[in-house]
Amino acid sequence: MSKDKGYVFNIQKFCIHDGEGIRTTVFLNGCNLNCKWCANPESRLCISDPRSDAVEYSVQEILKEVLKDKPFYDKSGGGVTLSGGETLVQKEFALALIEELKKHGVSVTIETAGNVCNDEFRAFVSKVDFVFIDCKHYDEERHVLGTGASNKRILENISWLAQSGKPYMVRIPVIPNFNDGIEDANAFGDLFLSLGVKEVELLPFHQLGQSKYKTKNINYEYENVPQKKKEDLKEFASVLEQKGISVSIGG
Amino acid sequence: MKNFGKMSKRISSFREELLSIRPEVCVERALLTTKAYKEHEMDQIVLKRAYMLKEILSNMSIYIEPQTLIVGNQASANRSAPIFPEYAMDWVIRELDEFDKRPGDRFFISEENKNALREIYPYWKGRTLQDKGYSAYPEQAKIIYDMGLIRNEGNITSGDAHLAVDYEFLLKHGLNGVKERVLAKLNKTDYTDFEQMKASYFLKAILITIDAVEIYAKRFADLALEQAKVAEPVRAKELERIAQTCSNVPMRGAKDFYEAVQSLWFVHLILQIESNGHSLSFGRFDQFMYPYYLISKQNGVSDEEITELLENLWIKSLTINKIRSWGHTKFAAGSPMYQNLTIGGQMFDGKSAVNELTRLTLNSIAVTRLPQPNLTVRYFKGLEEDFMQDCISMIKLGFGMPAFNNDEIIIPSLVEQGVSYEDACNYSAIGCVEVGVPGKWGYRCTGMSYLNFPRALLIALNDGVDLTTGNKVANGIGHFLDMKSFDDVLKAWDVTARQLIRIGITLDNCADMVVEQNVPDILCSALVDDCIERGKHLKEGGAIYDIISQLQVGVANLGDSLASIKKCVFEEKTLTKEQLWNALITNYAREDGERIRQMLIDAPKYGNDDDYVDELVVKGYDTYLDEIKHYKNTRYGRGPIGGHFYAGTSSVAANVPQGEGTWATPDGRRRGEPLAEGCSPTHSRDTNGPTSVFKSVSKLKTEKIVGGVLLNQKFNPIMLERQSDCDKLSMLIRTFFDTLHGFHVQYNVVSRETLLDAQKHPENYKDLIVRVAGYSAFFTILSKQTQDDIIERTEQVL
Repeated sequence: MSKDKGYVFNIQKFCIHDGEGIRTTVFLNGCNLNCKWCANPESRLCISDPRSDAVEYSVQEILKEVLKDKPFYDKSGGGVTLSGGETLVQKEFALALIEELKKHGVSVTIETAGNVCNDEFRAFVSKVDFVFIDCKHYDEERHVLGTGASNKRILENISWLAQSGKPYMVRIPVIPNFNDGIEDANAFGDLFLSLGVKEVELLPFHQLGQSKYKTKNINYEYENVPQKKKEDLKEFASVLEQKGISVSIGG
Repeated sequence: MKNFGKMSKRISSFREELLSIRPEVCVERALLTTKAYKEHEMDQIVLKRAYMLKEILSNMSIYIEPQTLIVGNQASANRSAPIFPEYAMDWVIRELDEFDKRPGDRFFISEENKNALREIYPYWKGRTLQDKGYSAYPEQAKIIYDMGLIRNEGNITSGDAHLAVDYEFLLKHGLNGVKERVLAKLNKTDYTDFEQMKASYFLKAILITIDAVEIYAKRFADLALEQAKVAEPVRAKELERIAQTCSNVPMRGAKDFYEAVQSLWFVHLILQIESNGHSLSFGRFDQFMYPYYLISKQNGVSDEEITELLENLWIKSLTINKIRSWGHTKFAAGSPMYQNLTIGGQMFDGKSAVNELTRLTLNSIAVTRLPQPNLTVRYFKGLEEDFMQDCISMIKLGFGMPAFNNDEIIIPSLVEQGVSYEDACNYSAIGCVEVGVPGKWGYRCTGMSYLNFPRALLIALNDGVDLTTGNKVANGIGHFLDMKSFDDVLKAWDVTARQLIRIGITLDNCADMVVEQNVPDILCSALVDDCIERGKHLKEGGAIYDIISQLQVGVANLGDSLASIKKCVFEEKTLTKEQLWNALITNYAREDGERIRQMLIDAPKYGNDDDYVDELVVKGYDTYLDEIKHYKNTRYGRGPIGGHFYAGTSSVAANVPQGEGTWATPDGRRRGEPLAEGCSPTHSRDTNGPTSVFKSVSKLKTEKIVGGVLLNQKFNPIMLERQSDCDKLSMLIRTFFDTLHGFHVQYNVVSRETLLDAQKHPENYKDLIVRVAGYSAFFTILSKQTQDDIIERTEQVL
């Protein structure tokens, strides 16, 4: 992966549910986790795979596209969101893009799972305005089971983020048969208290990605598992709230 | 999110009753008009028109609905559509047996009434506006009119309207005030001066129409008193008040809000009896009514009582109906009257014009939730955010109101056209999105002929020959197959379009000529400055401002088609000219047709903020803008400021019938499919979300398209669930208006599922209202074709 060329599988305008104001989300290809419920499974395909949607872009090409909506960012306090896949997989390219965006006065938010070493994480995060970081499981073993990787580095990064003063939000994708029990909520709550996290957003499990599994012919363990509604997460949320953590339900 | 509250019991029952009515055709006006015309055959046309109004208002049936506080009816029953024989009778007689069998906009008529119309028909043969207009069309123009390539059927089969009169003067001084002005002028007449002598007939005609209105109001006063005698005590009191009010207004100035509403309604209604022109608009209601609101508040009247009167007025505005020929109905699906009502905006000093009455008006229209009046909110930078949020809460109700017009571009554009700054600040929306200055602007700031852009492009590519009819309608520069470069394509468009635009002007001026000669509106003219002082009715050049616009249909299809040709044929050369042309004339039906169609669809499309195609839209449209500026209307040099044409894209529902008559186009559109509406992108071709649509639309030369740049956006209701979503919609609109200087935007917030279900079970959706174009209509009375068109519009989702 280089500084000059990046691989992007979608640039979506008028995203209003991820962060402040009216935003454009740039979906970077590639991920270092393998979550069984992933809604963007195409992001994990190798760029040489014929099923991949990834397109090669230069920083300037992306810049040109996302700056088209600058009037909307300016008016609404929005900006650009880098997402994935995993934003940090194309770290060099992402940093080069961020630098250009900053030159044009565009606010940058990232969505990350934080599965990188803390030094790398810190260096990256210092360049952006806001961080959404996922916490998929409190338990290392279960985390490995669901995502294929340990949560050790992730928790370390969340812990650091909580102390850093950088504006951030921790998100839990609430997934059936993985982390959606009341005992899970309790454990998440205790973990957050120990890390110093005071606010969390819950993302109810959805099936918006299901059709992609089909069209891309990718095996999907969560096929036809019912989606969760906001109301389904009320009890989960109240457990966290009782511990003094403020909760919003997104999605 | 705002809760708009509920209707009172009285209003709610009135509304229910109105919604369950099966619209009929009323013949009273037709018969009374025939009688008056026969009796006054020898009189000057202005006097004949005045006597006609007097005959109608003196003799038509009147009634007072049990729930109403405001009186005055257009026909023998609510929602019944009168026949206006002086405009056109051929289609009426031809379609008599079809009215109740139409695929949409059905009307019912008894055999007895059919016969009554058949009886008067012979008298009208050769006497109607349509007969005279069609006969006057110059040869070449007539051919093009018959082909449906340029349409102005509505201009020779009905009245004009498309204006707002001076209600401020009416409320303040009453019709007696108008009378005084007329008498002052008439008494000075020097009959040896030809112009003055001619004017005297018009001035006398005004006096007759004012008498007619007085008679009409008096009839209601008498009826109310009579009914009061037998009514239960509460209603008797109301009826007595009605009687008292009708004895005072509209002849004298209004003393309070109640009288102002009644006075306004009488005149607004009678103007729609005098003529069947639609888009008769209220103007800046929250401004001219405000003083009366304050008086009533001081008299101790509560906001609830004010609101009830407002709701009563909105229901009354839906009692008015219009039947059009089936051909014309397709252009104006859903029986719209387009009675626009404008609120908000700014004052001369740049401060917000939003007042308590603005809010009550919005609120009451949200509660009654009807297709009339057609509510427009004037946006400007300083519009209060809480008011903006109320507008968004109303938009969420899903019936397409309010629409926004943007002061930031409209005021400077009007000034550019020669309108004084003070008048420009006082503009209101007229009908749909078009704008005019109430009480000072003549008819039809939009609403002249329709020009079908994509069909014209096909003619340009086919060396001046129309594919649909085989007629040679323009001198081309050769056939597409012989074109050497994309520049040749642009040149062909430019050369052909200019010839067709000239024909549109010919048709429009010819229609205006016969309207002036045959169906002048007297009362309407009396309420627009400076008709009385000049002694000229509106069509003779009585208005202070008189600029009109035609409608250009399929702007997006034109640009998209040009982009496909440029990209596929001349740049990437993925298609040969022969391949493309054959695919078009065979409607993509041949073996490789679908593949070619997909290639064309994959080319850049307007609405995605892609300069490649957006610049071609602008370029294509430039031909129109450049050509139209050379032409004058029939009032040029006769008094008004302006006297010319400008562009406008408020294409109402014309995109559907215009698409029917248009062959397959190079943007991948199949033969017969609807065209894009207004300035909106082609359905389902804008795939980048609403910000990109706004960016694309803002590249048009909006400051020159003063007749309106109509943009529809459709949102799925789930997009606006949270308050933060509504905040972002407000930001989106503000950016479009403040930074990008957009002209107009309106929203349909109804899910595809709801519409599909309504098609299946219309009985469950009798009050489902959707935005059609610059107006809203009941979904279930639309034809299937128009319903489908609305369903297919791109839904902006995440």
